[in-house]
Amino acid sequence: MPTPPPDRPEDRPVDPSADPAVARAGERATDQATHPFTPRRAVATVRRADPAGGDAARPTRTVQPGPVRRPALAVLLGVGGAALVVSLLVAVTIGPADLGVGEVARVVGHHLGLVDGVPRLHDAIVWDLRLPRVLTAAAVGAGLAAAGAVMQSLTRNPLADPYLLGLSSGASLGAVAVLVLGVAVLLPAAAFVGAIAALVATLALARTGGTVTPTRAVLAGLAVSQLAAAATSFVIFWTATGDSYREILSWLMGSLAGTTWTSVAIAGGALLVVGSVLVATASRLDAFTFGDTAAAALGIDVDRTRWTLMTLVALLTGALVAVSGAIGFVGLVLPHAVSVLTGPAHRRLLPVAAVTGAVFLVWADTLARTVFAPREIPVGIVTALVGVPVFALILRRGRGAAWS
Amino acid sequence: MELTIAGVGARLGGRWVVDGVDATPPDGALTGLLGPNGAGKTTLLRLVAGILPPDAGAVLVPGDEAATARPQAAGSPATPEHVPVHMLDRRRRARRVALLEQESSATVPLTVREVVALGRIPFRTLWGSDPDDAAVDRALAAATAEHLADRAWSTLSGGERQRVHIARALAQQPELLLLDEPTNHLDVSAQLSLLAFVRDLGVTTVAALHDLNLAAAFCAHVLVLNHGRLVAAGPPAEVLTPELLREVYDVDAAVLTHPVTGRPVIALSDTGPDRSR
Repeated sequence: MPTPPPDRPEDRPVDPSADPAVARAGERATDQATHPFTPRRAVATVRRADPAGGDAARPTRTVQPGPVRRPALAVLLGVGGAALVVSLLVAVTIGPADLGVGEVARVVGHHLGLVDGVPRLHDAIVWDLRLPRVLTAAAVGAGLAAAGAVMQSLTRNPLADPYLLGLSSGASLGAVAVLVLGVAVLLPAAAFVGAIAALVATLALARTGGTVTPTRAVLAGLAVSQLAAAATSFVIFWTATGDSYREILSWLMGSLAGTTWTSVAIAGGALLVVGSVLVATASRLDAFTFGDTAAAALGIDVDRTRWTLMTLVALLTGALVAVSGAIGFVGLVLPHAVSVLTGPAHRRLLPVAAVTGAVFLVWADTLARTVFAPREIPVGIVTALVGVPVFALILRRGRGAAWS
Repeated sequence: MELTIAGVGARLGGRWVVDGVDATPPDGALTGLLGPNGAGKTTLLRLVAGILPPDAGAVLVPGDEAATARPQAAGSPATPEHVPVHMLDRRRRARRVALLEQESSATVPLTVREVVALGRIPFRTLWGSDPDDAAVDRALAAATAEHLADRAWSTLSGGERQRVHIARALAQQPELLLLDEPTNHLDVSAQLSLLAFVRDLGVTTVAALHDLNLAAAFCAHVLVLNHGRLVAAGPPAEVLTPELLREVYDVDAAVLTHPVTGRPVIALSDTGPDRSR
């Protein structure tokens, strides 16, 4: 192929709605209208995008053929990692008892055997209440964001989230069984069992017709979700009384209240184990970018890879849901927001999404427990309140171009 | 790459979509795969790519070290020198065979460089780094797409996208290149430059094509499929006769000679004597 002159009209982008609106769009529309070699189609489309007519300065959606620059992974992880450390430290100091960074550091030092004589109350607040909670928030946020990114790639569905395979509904059913029916099992164990039962049901249903295609997985997950949700509603409707409603609702919306060092171990352990496997398989996830056939042509065992990774992500998600309930929007929104910076390559996307998810959930939980102090709201309400506008913003910024 | 398609067949839903095809596309040249819609072109390409295991026969390619070490089933047409492409190790196969699908879209925002880098996946190490840093740049340069490297994929024209897809395939450093309708949605100039580029690559290439004149102008060899069977194979000037085109496509055609290139030109009409079928 000979190199065409870069401005050859045929090589101009043909889809004017393809990328973010920029303020100079109006000027460009005027330029194109007066340029003799511009295809008429492009001019007409740009004008149509401005139904009010004539307001040349108004930003409108148009092409942005300029270069796309991605920051280096080391920079993103450096900034993200620093933000995470600072967030953890500051979040631990926030709360009804007025403790500064100094006191927190002394308590931590005490447990590391470096400092002697820390007030008992400080120790109880920092070490038994706030630190496990903040660390669990970080682990859950990191896990949900990474799990969401993987699910979106495996299903090639931008609306996929970690709960796609019916996990949250299954976990809720398990949790409600404990909260309402008084089944004598620890709540996280019941939630995990519920999530895994839902996963097994979904995959069995998705496999009935042969291979697990993305569409099959989504539809089977939807069916299992609805069934588990109906069962949950029935149990609540039939048996719950008075105060248990609030406890149930708080769990259903996702909450980090009552987390312990056991929660840290469950969520952190699952994150470390599954997270490192996911980062090691980042290339295989990349291969799905242009679909299953393209992945197969790039040397991927499509069926086995999808089946294995979906199961791994589901196990991670099951562990997270078990300690925190079904916190929404982190796994849906953060991968999209982060990929604006990292691009879609998973070797970059997954670690940065994890760090960002951790920072995000640490602050969301800090808000959840302080805004209406001494009352506490489910952190799922905060993530939704923040997540929905962010999602809307991403859609508006034209990243929806690839989603048309 | 020396490629032998030996009695290959594939069944989908109980029907033989590709049925006993025997062919030997020439080495290092462009072979056109022709036939009406539903003739089995895409399925045959998937069989040749080794991503669809055949229900009959095999597609044979020269073996590599790993493949020759593996014992072959009795009665298989394979020898250590010629192994079925679907039995090769997936990653190794992806370093030798590249397939470009007819329709391929992404659901994530990519840059051109990221698209081309996908072709390096079969070469990446466990931790995802590419042992050959310059491979993506070379592939971009080979497809004359360097100037697009940092552009967003969603802002490219159809011709530019196809050029980048070719660069992605070249990043796989293939010995065998398989293209499904590569000229779809391209304007005439882009169609010509793409096929001329592929023809001059010197890589064994099989391209499914709808446009008979493009096939006649650029292909060294053509294979004509109808209802999953191979009905003709050979140089376009010998194969693309009015009789064959009537039989396969149910059209009336006059085959002329291009005044400049001397290659066959096919003039179609729908007002023939036998339109009653």
